[in-house]
Amino acid sequence: MEQVSGEVGAFKATIRKKARYVNQDLCTGCGSCAEKCPTMVVDAYNAGMGKRKAIYKYFPQGIPSVFTIDAPECRQLGQGKKCGVCAKVCQAKAIDFDQKDAIIEIEAGAIILATGYDVFDPSVIPEYGYTTINNVVTALEFERLLSASGPTAGHLDRPSDLLMEKDLEEGEKEVKKLARQVKSLEDKHGKTSADVVAAVKSGSAAVDDELIQWAQAAEKLAALEERVATLQKKTAAVQTAKKLAFIQCVGSRDFRFNRFCSSYCCMHSVKEAMIANEHDNAVNSSIFCMDLRAVGRGFEEYKLRGGKQANIKYVRGRVAEITEDEANNPIVWYESTTTQKVEHETFDMVVLATACVPTEGTAKVAELFGVELESNGFFKTHPLAPLNTTRPGIFTCGCAQGPMDIPESVAQASSAAARAAEVVAPLATVEKQKAVG
Amino acid sequence: MADKIRIGVFVCDCGSNIAGYLDVKELAEYAKTLPNVVYVKENLYTCSESGINEIKDAIGKENLNRVVVASCTPRTHEPLFRGTCGEGGLNPYLFEMVNIRDQCSWVHMQERERGTDKAKDLIRMGVAKAALLEPQEPIQSQMNPNALVIGGGISGMTAALALANRGYETTLVEKSPQLGGLLLRLDKLAPSDMDAATFANQQAELVKKHPKIHLLTSAEVDAVAGYIGHFNVFARTADGEENFDVGVIVVATGAQVLQPTGMYGYDGKTVINQLELEERFKAGTFSAQNVVMIQCVGARNEERKYCSRICCMVAIKNAIAIKELSPSTGVRILYRDIQAYGMENEALFQKAKELGVLFIKYDPNHPPRVESDKVMVQHHLLGRELALPQDLVVLSTPLIAGEDNETISKLLRVTLDENKFFLEGHVKLKPLDFATDGIYLCGNAHYPATAREAISQALGAASRASIPLSKGVMTAEPIVSTLVDEDACRGCGLCVALCPYGALEIQHTEKGRKVKVIPVACKGCGVCAATCYQHALSINSYTDQQVTEQIKAFLRG
Amino acid sequence: MQYSTDIRIIRLMCTGRVDPTMLADAFLEGADGVVVVGCHFGDCHYISGNYQAKVKVGLATRALDYAGLNPERISFSQCSSAEGDRFVSIITGFDQKIKEMGPLGSADRLPLPKLTEKIAIAKTALGKEKLRWVVGKFTEFTTTGNKYGEKFTDHEMWRTLDTIVMDELATFEILSEMQKAPAAVKDLAARLELPPPHVLKYVLALQRRGIVSLAGIEGNSPLYQVAEKSAQQTAHAA
Repeated sequence: MEQVSGEVGAFKATIRKKARYVNQDLCTGCGSCAEKCPTMVVDAYNAGMGKRKAIYKYFPQGIPSVFTIDAPECRQLGQGKKCGVCAKVCQAKAIDFDQKDAIIEIEAGAIILATGYDVFDPSVIPEYGYTTINNVVTALEFERLLSASGPTAGHLDRPSDLLMEKDLEEGEKEVKKLARQVKSLEDKHGKTSADVVAAVKSGSAAVDDELIQWAQAAEKLAALEERVATLQKKTAAVQTAKKLAFIQCVGSRDFRFNRFCSSYCCMHSVKEAMIANEHDNAVNSSIFCMDLRAVGRGFEEYKLRGGKQANIKYVRGRVAEITEDEANNPIVWYESTTTQKVEHETFDMVVLATACVPTEGTAKVAELFGVELESNGFFKTHPLAPLNTTRPGIFTCGCAQGPMDIPESVAQASSAAARAAEVVAPLATVEKQKAVG
Repeated sequence: MADKIRIGVFVCDCGSNIAGYLDVKELAEYAKTLPNVVYVKENLYTCSESGINEIKDAIGKENLNRVVVASCTPRTHEPLFRGTCGEGGLNPYLFEMVNIRDQCSWVHMQERERGTDKAKDLIRMGVAKAALLEPQEPIQSQMNPNALVIGGGISGMTAALALANRGYETTLVEKSPQLGGLLLRLDKLAPSDMDAATFANQQAELVKKHPKIHLLTSAEVDAVAGYIGHFNVFARTADGEENFDVGVIVVATGAQVLQPTGMYGYDGKTVINQLELEERFKAGTFSAQNVVMIQCVGARNEERKYCSRICCMVAIKNAIAIKELSPSTGVRILYRDIQAYGMENEALFQKAKELGVLFIKYDPNHPPRVESDKVMVQHHLLGRELALPQDLVVLSTPLIAGEDNETISKLLRVTLDENKFFLEGHVKLKPLDFATDGIYLCGNAHYPATAREAISQALGAASRASIPLSKGVMTAEPIVSTLVDEDACRGCGLCVALCPYGALEIQHTEKGRKVKVIPVACKGCGVCAATCYQHALSINSYTDQQVTEQIKAFLRG
Repeated sequence: MQYSTDIRIIRLMCTGRVDPTMLADAFLEGADGVVVVGCHFGDCHYISGNYQAKVKVGLATRALDYAGLNPERISFSQCSSAEGDRFVSIITGFDQKIKEMGPLGSADRLPLPKLTEKIAIAKTALGKEKLRWVVGKFTEFTTTGNKYGEKFTDHEMWRTLDTIVMDELATFEILSEMQKAPAAVKDLAARLELPPPHVLKYVLALQRRGIVSLAGIEGNSPLYQVAEKSAQQTAHAA
């Protein structure tokens, strides 16, 4: 949105449609461009845990099914290199490197702000170790790990183990390369590397630069081989995560960050723990919470079922700190309300139920549309007119006005539509249509 | 002479949802060997735009006259693929869906080979049925443009006003003589601090004055016949019976507060419930030095498992009111979990704490005991029993389903949940619709809700209801009963008596008494076809022959 | 949520669509078990389809039981679309029961292929007027009563249906035997494993309706055949 003018019943909006460098009408979504694109980019949809190409669709079922070039990452657009592979392989001739942003003007009687929310960034709570401990993830990241279409095809592979596997892969590649190098030297000189290493070490005669390099390479190879062997042993022993901890109210109900309750996270954690257990019956979970807020139809029952059937333990108390042991297992330190002592427990993975916060651009949107924000930074509404913003004709629904779960958001979307309809198709208009019809 | 059957089969990977657990390549190869199949395509996502385009293209290029998609559930995707066939130039009902995700990959995750074999069988069955499918045309019928709202509380009034403001004639039926419902008995609303009855009365005035609202108080709905677009309603009023037609119905019948008779020494005097406390506020008769509130009284137990969502907030609101009225009065709230979800509620919770309200968690296995001047409670932090002084105990009881819910659910043929609240069509996707077309729900009738939530839901329900109303003409699925063998029909009327929708009638024709189907009223349940001893009736797309061929395709394959 | 790979689902809009002949069809084709899963009573998406399904599945079970099938091979269960776990337990329980019974013919009163022949006859009977009429009137007779105002209990209705099932299956088996060749009552009785006077009663009833006629006398026994005129009508009558 660039600009909004006018008033209820007659708004005028200026919209900038960003260039996607792909002609939307021609693209068939076949994906051969992404298959051939040489640039790998971290995949935001999979919470940074996977890779995608520089020409991409945000997620496979996305609508419209059209590809987009991530301009800053693209060799040709962003880095000024010669590439154009996508344009070559596109049979629909849909790639358009010269595409420009388009300015669209529309007229509207009412406006609905449904800009959603952002997930709280837990790295500002250093004691939870989100940035330092690999096996501490956010609930949304965990959701991707659980998803059959996620980076691990739904297996609960721990991030530290995934990194180790990657490390091993690279190590093996390096070993192969070095081994080839050393082997060619051995073949050329008809000597074994061990002899050369010994010779160099003993400082015996006829040690030239080539021999020194050879010896260095051979020693490096030996060290690397040992490391790879250790990694191989370790990765062979890797198991998927079996013991999970969910930490509630990360960034919510916390005076340092957000005082409010994010509403949906308790049930979200119970659901994730249930699904993890469905995938693998050996999984058990502890949910660390202050109150377990299960307030919708069937929620309390679902929570109890999780306890009985899905190995979920509800632990009351606020987690003080998360540390890590040598095997990359996070250790949760908390004050037990039953023993009133600080206790700790080791888990395979920790999931942070992060707060629902206003989107980064909310304040800008509020300014653009001339609506007020409430103290937490969401669009301000009145309890008895829950869809109305502070400006007539502009309505808001869903998490843009505060945290809520999916059914409530869906219901509110209909409600906002009702309010907007009262503006754009009020009584008189309907009557007129009837008369005409 | 019918054209030669040419079936196209599309096998969906669903990313890895299917391809991760079944051998999709093998399925596609297998489909090629099936009778009448002339084209097979595997898609990464058949439902994506590219998958859809592949179906459309294949219909044209391969001259397909039947399409089978082996993917997920018809509950979510059948309409999409039917539409695709239509856009591709094929009658949408020459389409058959095979569910190899919910029925194979998701439920046989560890059995790739056997799951794949099962998927082959399902595809073979789908192909066998597809060969026998016949084209159908959607059924159209005019919509009555009026609405009925049952219940005159805040939800019902809000819904009626929203519908009437859109120009739809709306009848509002309220059982009691007065509009306002539960709000009339409350003191203030939180967090707006608005007087509840004043707010209710303001809305009631708007309802009464609205030229498009026909208000029936002291009235009850007696009988409802018909279906979306054509409901015929009988409402009993003090003056007699009213009979009118509407196109849609909104259920906003509210709920009732559980009376805690027999619990914690409830006597309505020194042990009261939250509603009675608010009545004391209103009457100005509140006085107490030490108040103890007990949460989850009659809720979250064996008898009533559910959490009633709003009682924690009611207690907090009233605790704040006490503190504002009489700062020296001690208020202690004994709770299990404080359900102060969201922004406003959590803020009120904090405010109560700041005002000195004490919150003490109790264990349901060791519930508090009310004694003459104190309440004994096992403190979970201190690990010992505390004696809390009291001269007033307030019990927070849940909202329970309205007493008429069962009657109304039978009248409207809509569903109740295990606690007798009305059950929506889909918990996430259709929170305000019933499974039955043309009937919607909101407010406490659905589940305990705050005033903010009830208003929001009522507007939403009105919005949902206005969708069919605004269309004027309703289009229905043609998967309905059809008289396929008129000569065989003896006009016996056995089917007419069993039809749950009144969609069959006997008429006199030149050939004598014959049954007639009213397609727009028919939902396609198939009772008539399963009953007719002359096999004269059949259900489109579910004929005897089609089902039998599926059975044969499975067991002979 | 995982369950046995041995089931195949046939989708119907409502269990009310379940025709008793469909169950016979499944066993004719060699199914080892059939489970009909519909909505909970009082909670039917199609209002009352599940009640109709219950009586129709009940009828099919009785007829197939009489034909020699182990009635445990048929199950009628309720499960809402929100009860995935319940569905799994229904399927798992039924699958286990069927696996204990073994394939069709192994835990039944009759072995294959005799069982299949009898099931075919049951299917014919289930498609015909008499049984379908009574089962179609089941709800009316047990709730509002017949046209004389007589109300029947479920138990009484099922007893009546049991008798009709027996008569109908015997009648259609006799016709089926006669279609192969004219037959004497005592031969028919031996083949049907019924007392000869019962068979005579059925044959005479058929003769009165013109469906069966005298073909000749063999020794002292009259031979009966399907009446030429009615041979075609047989498909519809009875």
